Amino acid sequence: MSAFGTIDELETALRAADYLPDRGLSTALFLGLALEKPLLLEGEAGVGKTEAAKALAVATKARLIRLQCYEGLDVAHAVYEWNYPRQLLHIRAAQEGTVSEDELFGPEFLIRRPLLEAIDTDEPVVLLIDEIDRADEEFEAFLLEVLSDFQITIPELGTIRARRKPAVILTSNRTRELHDALKRRALFHWIGHPSIDREIEIVKIRIPGISERLASEAAAFVRELRGLDLAKPPGVAETIDWAMALNALGRQEIDADVVEQTLGSVLKYREDIEAVRDETLARLVDTARTTAAR
Amino acid sequence: MADAVVRHVVTFGRVLREVGLEVGPGRVADALRGIAAVDLTRQEDVYFALRQTLVSRHDELELFDRAFNAWFLRAPVLPPVRTAQSPLAQEKIGETLSDAAGGEPDDEAGDPLELGASGHELLRDKDFAEMTPEEYRRVKRLIAAIAEQRPLRASRRRRPDPRGDRLDMRKLIRQSLRTGGDPVDRPYRARKEVPRKLVVLCDVSGSMDAYARALVLFLHAAVGSGPGVEAFAFGTRLSRLTAELGTRDPESALEKCTEAVTDWGSGTRIGASLKEFNDLYGKRALSRGAVVVIVSDGWERQDPELVGREMARLARAAYAVIWVNPLKGNPEYQPLAGGMRAALPYVDRFLSGHNLRSLEELAAVLAGIERRHAA
Repeated sequence: MSAFGTIDELETALRAADYLPDRGLSTALFLGLALEKPLLLEGEAGVGKTEAAKALAVATKARLIRLQCYEGLDVAHAVYEWNYPRQLLHIRAAQEGTVSEDELFGPEFLIRRPLLEAIDTDEPVVLLIDEIDRADEEFEAFLLEVLSDFQITIPELGTIRARRKPAVILTSNRTRELHDALKRRALFHWIGHPSIDREIEIVKIRIPGISERLASEAAAFVRELRGLDLAKPPGVAETIDWAMALNALGRQEIDADVVEQTLGSVLKYREDIEAVRDETLARLVDTARTTAAR
Repeated sequence: MADAVVRHVVTFGRVLREVGLEVGPGRVADALRGIAAVDLTRQEDVYFALRQTLVSRHDELELFDRAFNAWFLRAPVLPPVRTAQSPLAQEKIGETLSDAAGGEPDDEAGDPLELGASGHELLRDKDFAEMTPEEYRRVKRLIAAIAEQRPLRASRRRRPDPRGDRLDMRKLIRQSLRTGGDPVDRPYRARKEVPRKLVVLCDVSGSMDAYARALVLFLHAAVGSGPGVEAFAFGTRLSRLTAELGTRDPESALEKCTEAVTDWGSGTRIGASLKEFNDLYGKRALSRGAVVVIVSDGWERQDPELVGREMARLARAAYAVIWVNPLKGNPEYQPLAGGMRAALPYVDRFLSGHNLRSLEELAAVLAGIERRHAA
């Protein structure tokens, strides 16, 4: 059961971890803990899905264990693998065939991967399963089993059960529809882009010492960019990177020149950068500065 | 929890089911637990607790919001979003069918699958646009069989295979135990081949009418061939058809297609549709590593330049791009239409798809395609 009695308590702890969730996300994280259910987070790239898990780990004083998914991810990389070189050396060293199979397939020859780590431990854990939509469907089915029983079977060692259920966060970029069974098991929250006030607040909390004006103008400019028709609209992560760059340059405010020089940390595609030039860029800078000044 | 609250949530679950959300008893139970954990006097918390437990897809959020507003906030109920089947679209199909029926009748009766060899051969080369409904009925199964061919990719998962390319270490260790650590036998594992993602974008605008039936059948069978196939129809805009085509019966899938693509039989905006695909689905990496098949005559009426730009984006993400243009079946055809010309530099294979034989060719290409073929 959760260490937090209310959503507000959790929100305070997240804030202390430099993460500013909106009410919806706090509620989702709170319910995940309270109901002991995995939480599936979806949203545009860069809205802070992964960050949410990291912050939750800090807030709950848990260890963050991350499983990054990719096409072809298999049990050997997600759960465990035997350390074959060591096993071979061990047989050699023992000579005369006095090594038993039990000894050889014992814990000291086991390489523990994220899922096993998260289950076979006594400390509190936040298990982040990142970009689950990239894994193959076979792996998703396997994962579903793990998330139902919180146990893993290693033929040579037997079944390992979780002593305490890890808090599980799954993220997906929706490159494909996830299996219904997995969705039924999880709570679901869609993270949108933050409001401008919240984004300014996020920038300020992540970049100590940044001027109020620069934070506001940067957030307002990125917001303008999101209104354009871009191949990859910038997320909060880009706002932070960019504001950090501007701050490092000693800027107190934005102008067309500095925006043009630093646009590469906000926009990641050449065609997007090309679309934001000259008059467009000047117009956006003007609008952003007006918005930021209120 | 107060009985009234329980009743409210249970009834709300039923309301959601009525508007089309999949809300089973498990979800309602979660919603009740969620509600119990939050402060009932805070509307926002109640809203999120219900939403996060009862909804599992982004595209259901709007429906949920409407239902929530109507049920809990007593907001006026808006008319349902579901659009009725366009009578115009039905007429179009009717027309196409009766036009086709006006052609030469084919009296050869019998089981559609037991075509005489000669009849089969004749039909193989017959343009879909010139087939009678009877002939068409016969080739349907064949179209389906062709569509089941899928491009493969190597999976990371390996299985024991004496001709494999990687040692099965677990087995090797076990066997070495008996031989004092010397690996006498060398067991191998090999990669399994699994279907590669396949994305089909099908032009259903007026100029493609004659081929639409065959192509929809093709799409239907492709989607039914297993996971990892996505189908889209486009005309003036783009519409995802995977779900509509997921039903068992091709005829009803055809009807549902008509329903989903409201611009059936109207003009084409290929560039804008490709852009919509790249923006909405490409960004979510649906096209990454996929074999993308575009079925269209390339008649872009508005902006050929946009076609080129969006094709470039698509080609970058995709494993390979195949363009199927039924007009290419005509020996005198030249790809002069603006959109087609703009697209060709980004196309790995350019095929016709106007008759059975050319669909077979498409299937063969799909089964063996490699990255960056010359067109």
